Amino acid sequence: MKSISTTLVAVVVLVVIVAAIAAVFLMRAPGGQEGAGEEKIVIGMPISLTGKYSVEGEMSLIGALAVIEWINEQGGVKVGGKTYMFDLKYYDDESNPDRVISLTERLITQDKVDFLISPYSSGLTFKAAPIADKNGVLMIAQGAASDKIFQQGYQYVVQVYTPGSRYLTSALDFVKATDPNAKKVAIIYKENEFSRTVAEGARKYAEQLGFQVVFYKSYPADVSDLTPILQELAASQPDIIIGGGHFQDGQLLAKQLAELNINAKLVSILVAPALPKFYEALGSLADGITYPAQWEMGVKYSPDKVPEGYEWYGPTIDEFLKYFTSVAESRFQKQGLKPSYHAAGGGAAVLMLAKALEMAGTTDTDAVRKAMNNLQIQTFFGKLKIDPETGLQIGHDMILGQWQSGSKVIIWPPEAANAEPIYPLPPWSEKG
Amino acid sequence: MPFADLVVGTLLYGALLGVIYGIATAGLSLIFGVLKIVNVGHGAFMMIGAYTTYWFFTLYGLNPVLSLPFSLAIGALLGLAFYYPVVRRVIDAPEMASLLATFAMGLLLQEAARMAWTSDYRGFSWEVARLEIGGVSIYASKLIAAGLALLLLLFHYVVFYRTKLGLAIRAVVQDREGALVVGINVDRIYALSFSIGIAITVASGSLLAIYNPVGINPYMGAILTLKAFVIAVMGGLGSIGGAFIAGVLFGLFENVSYVVLTGIEGVQPLVLTRFIAFTLLLVILLVRPKGLFGR
Repeated sequence: MKSISTTLVAVVVLVVIVAAIAAVFLMRAPGGQEGAGEEKIVIGMPISLTGKYSVEGEMSLIGALAVIEWINEQGGVKVGGKTYMFDLKYYDDESNPDRVISLTERLITQDKVDFLISPYSSGLTFKAAPIADKNGVLMIAQGAASDKIFQQGYQYVVQVYTPGSRYLTSALDFVKATDPNAKKVAIIYKENEFSRTVAEGARKYAEQLGFQVVFYKSYPADVSDLTPILQELAASQPDIIIGGGHFQDGQLLAKQLAELNINAKLVSILVAPALPKFYEALGSLADGITYPAQWEMGVKYSPDKVPEGYEWYGPTIDEFLKYFTSVAESRFQKQGLKPSYHAAGGGAAVLMLAKALEMAGTTDTDAVRKAMNNLQIQTFFGKLKIDPETGLQIGHDMILGQWQSGSKVIIWPPEAANAEPIYPLPPWSEKG
Repeated sequence: MPFADLVVGTLLYGALLGVIYGIATAGLSLIFGVLKIVNVGHGAFMMIGAYTTYWFFTLYGLNPVLSLPFSLAIGALLGLAFYYPVVRRVIDAPEMASLLATFAMGLLLQEAARMAWTSDYRGFSWEVARLEIGGVSIYASKLIAAGLALLLLLFHYVVFYRTKLGLAIRAVVQDREGALVVGINVDRIYALSFSIGIAITVASGSLLAIYNPVGINPYMGAILTLKAFVIAVMGGLGSIGGAFIAGVLFGLFENVSYVVLTGIEGVQPLVLTRFIAFTLLLVILLVRPKGLFGR
């Protein structure tokens, strides 16, 4: 009896030791791979791999890793005659703001990374930004469309995503270029900070382009019936209706526009139409409705169609897809994963850094930050260029997606478009 | 759209929505009237009705109107299923106990719905004719939903005033001991009343989904509960006819106050209509503390 229990104890102890050793190794594992001898530039990234942003976080990470792998296989980044390989050091922030703060500090003070890529979401980036800025470490903010982050006077934070204030400007550009007779714009938006930023940005831009804003009103966040506000909107007889907020209200907005037979040449709604659920809920009524997106599978950006003043930089879309798939399969065991805009944005962050390093010719943070001001590149993610003062993204355009017979296509900007637009929108009554 | 059309549209949509509000409150009022229990989980039962219609339509292509009998049946069964183990025990307990119990019932349904169907916002597209009424475009489905609501109200009325069961229920409401003395099984009356109340509530959820077939999700009940409370109090708690008329008034008021508010510069009218509706409630309660039709 006694000997059995002794053996048992011994086995248990052994198992615990083995498990502990394995755990130590596993915990060390996420921190990037070891390179071969060359000089390295280490990028740090707190990113959500668990918690509410786990899906978007993982996408951003795989996107960033895909581009890093592409760059390293091309022979690395050439900085002032020297060649550097990129290495990414990341930790799971658990979608938790407090973790973001401590991990950002850890990456800067203990891991001594050279540059930072932000976590996913505006909220978490808001937590990381002041720490990066205070420590003088340049942070490329991906996954964050907030304008507010860039109104804090940070010197070392630059943006990848199109900020909220320009979410609906692509729709206006599209109409301006397509139809000189469309003049009257109605803007209807959800009453919250982000949607208000979007609406205000759209209003200013519409007036700049010579449109007439004939309706500009908001609805409460938990709205369940938009009939009264839409009846008033109809009275203003707009050519274009833009706005929205989030999924539920966007769905309601489209549904009730159709119900009340309020017709416009273009309807562009935030967030909701970008999701497949939108078509499930609306059926053929969804056809022709447009939406802004940072990026989408199917965009046609290519080195052959580079807008004036910009130069092509980084992998082509096909190359990005290839590296994305390989990273997703080999390092995350995800078969058949397709990149979302989060992934493309994560990759674009790495490209901005690489290009700025090349332009600066040194790895010195201030020089790289300065070089970033002159960066003007076209990538698989679209155009990238920042406002020198604030770091706000001013080059990247939202693409304009449109539902056509149950599929999503891209109709704007011209260098990204993969289909002819349906314009003007046929009347709702013809859609049943 | 000229101003006249705006007024017609406002009144029409307001009245239709009001009818839905009315029937959505009837079940709450019935349960309070008979059992003296406030069902805080009210909106969650409506959510079940909305999902019932949604699933029958998307899975089996069932005409949403025909999902109504299913909603009534599901509601009746749910009512019984909650009555015997839960509600029965808290009828004579302090109010807090019944509030907590019904709150828990609501939470249970909500979370069960989330686990079963995820928290996605769902919607469906039932293609029916579009009508023009006085220059206002409207889907026939909205008229159908309102018509069905009136039918349900009629059903409700018939049960109450034209059947022996209704007589027994009214007897219990008037005097429980008296009802016991003349041989009415009070416990069974409670069970049936609760069951009918929940059946009507679940069915009203179906009607809401027909009226406005988007935004169906496990948490849609919260705002519905709130509105139903306001309407029930406005109509006089326990008065079913009162609840219905108050519902129509509330719907009209929400929409009409919008038109009035548009006249004020620098105001976001839709954000303010709820404020106006609650102010109306305050005024009504000041003048008639027991509600419009309370005794």
